[in-house]
Amino acid sequence: MRKALLYTLLTLASLVTVVPLLYMVSLSLQTETETLSAEAVLWPQTPQWGNYAELFTRAPFGDFIVNSLVVAGAITLAHLLFDPLVGYVFAKFRFPLRNTLFVALLATLMVPFFVRMIPLYVLMANLGWLNTYQGLVTPFLMDAFGIFLMRQFIQPIPDDLIHAARIDGASELRIYRSVILPQTRPALAVLGLFTFVFQWNEFLWPLVATTTPEMRTIPVGLTLFNQEYFTLWHLTAAGSVILFVPTAVLFVLTQRYFVRGIALTGLK
Amino acid sequence: MRPRTLSGRYARTAYLFLLPAILFFAAFFYLPIGNVVATSLRTGPMADQWTGLGNYAQALGDPAVRHSFLITAGFSVLVVAGSIVLGLALALALDQPLKGRVAFRVLLLVPYLTSVAIVGLLWRNILDPELGVLNRLLAELGLPGQQWLNTAPLLTIAAVTLWQNVGYTMVLFLAGLQGIPETYHEAARIDGADAWHRFWRITLPLLAPTTLFVSVMAVISGLQAFGQAYIITNGGPGDATDLSVFHIFNVAFRARDFGYSSAQSVLLLIVIVAFTLVQLRAGRRGEVQY
Repeated sequence: MRKALLYTLLTLASLVTVVPLLYMVSLSLQTETETLSAEAVLWPQTPQWGNYAELFTRAPFGDFIVNSLVVAGAITLAHLLFDPLVGYVFAKFRFPLRNTLFVALLATLMVPFFVRMIPLYVLMANLGWLNTYQGLVTPFLMDAFGIFLMRQFIQPIPDDLIHAARIDGASELRIYRSVILPQTRPALAVLGLFTFVFQWNEFLWPLVATTTPEMRTIPVGLTLFNQEYFTLWHLTAAGSVILFVPTAVLFVLTQRYFVRGIALTGLK
Repeated sequence: MRPRTLSGRYARTAYLFLLPAILFFAAFFYLPIGNVVATSLRTGPMADQWTGLGNYAQALGDPAVRHSFLITAGFSVLVVAGSIVLGLALALALDQPLKGRVAFRVLLLVPYLTSVAIVGLLWRNILDPELGVLNRLLAELGLPGQQWLNTAPLLTIAAVTLWQNVGYTMVLFLAGLQGIPETYHEAARIDGADAWHRFWRITLPLLAPTTLFVSVMAVISGLQAFGQAYIITNGGPGDATDLSVFHIFNVAFRARDFGYSSAQSVLLLIVIVAFTLVQLRAGRRGEVQY
């Protein structure tokens, strides 16, 4: 009885989260007439796979995909390169001003992106970096969250490992690369996944920092496409599916890491 | 010159490793924060005429700014309340020994991974009074159609935000629940406490740190919501969903008033920082000891 109630609750909740996304897939395969008809079309009579091709002729959707991949990919690589290194320094080194620098770093967690938006726009405009990859990428190359995550993960690694490597004459960079980095793999997986998915989905900065259609990322390109062709819902839905599929696949393959990552950030 | 002491050498290594990060945070966090404050004290189309606190005085007296702030606060309260109640309810259900827990967790978490662009466009389509699939379905069932984006726009975009985020708060609560030792529940059960009492006397107090974290996160993300207004409602109807960051965006990039929009950014930042610090302090004082 109690179990039946729980199953009902969870099933209902899951339907509420998943059915709209399935409808999005259905919509992407409908004809324009079906999207506009008076009765609700839950599944198209004949799936219109051609909608996906048509999308690419109406907007530079190929560019959007490449831009999203380059921007999210470059930012993820930068995080994987720098966050563990900086986290390692704060976890294992003593040096002057260490606490001051660490507090200054953590304080940036309280600064939401919209605060930086206007000055960054002015900076990029002055540098001539609007509508460029470097303009889209540089504001997000590192953040306190990733560094903090790596520091928490590196702290429990025994100091003796580092001392032993030093006595063996290993250089500091080598100690980092061969002693510390290999042990952080699970945390790096979490960091990489989170960074990629969030940057892939990022909306506000690519909206502000691009004006030419060819430089837009998928979320921005798709939204502005919808403003221009607001009756072509089947094409907007096709674009949404393209935007959604990579994160969905990544998530289903690695959902344990995601759940652990969220729990990890919640329990600090 | 090589530092002579061992600790000097380590310090040098540390700073060498930190150098890229120090440069990055200086250039892309601290410099922009300084600039937004500096710009907020200036006015004019190029934001180059000194006006002191003029923009701030104007913002505090501007009905549109006040309205947008109240709307944003209301939106955040709705999202926070919903996240806590629904997230906790789902976490309590998933904390039971059920088959298919992992599948449910995946299904409930999926919307959290979608872009606000997908969420916004999809729900705008579903809820559209004329073309939306919801009203077409209601009509087929002989039920009256809805106009929620016109009749209750703020509540509607808060519900859409909740639809996206509830899986995230659920996972946070689930982690919190799994951190409560089973022995407390057993002891209470032996003393004859029923499930209702165990929830209010044991689960909820011991979850306080998680609840606090969830509410801080939900408030912070609620106060800076943007895409919902930009994509679903365009701030409307009228100015009913003119969320603060959307308002700031329009003042900056449509009206091109960088001085005034910067002052509004700083004001919203002050609110967010103050709120975060108060909540964290309250959390430290109110922590339950067992």
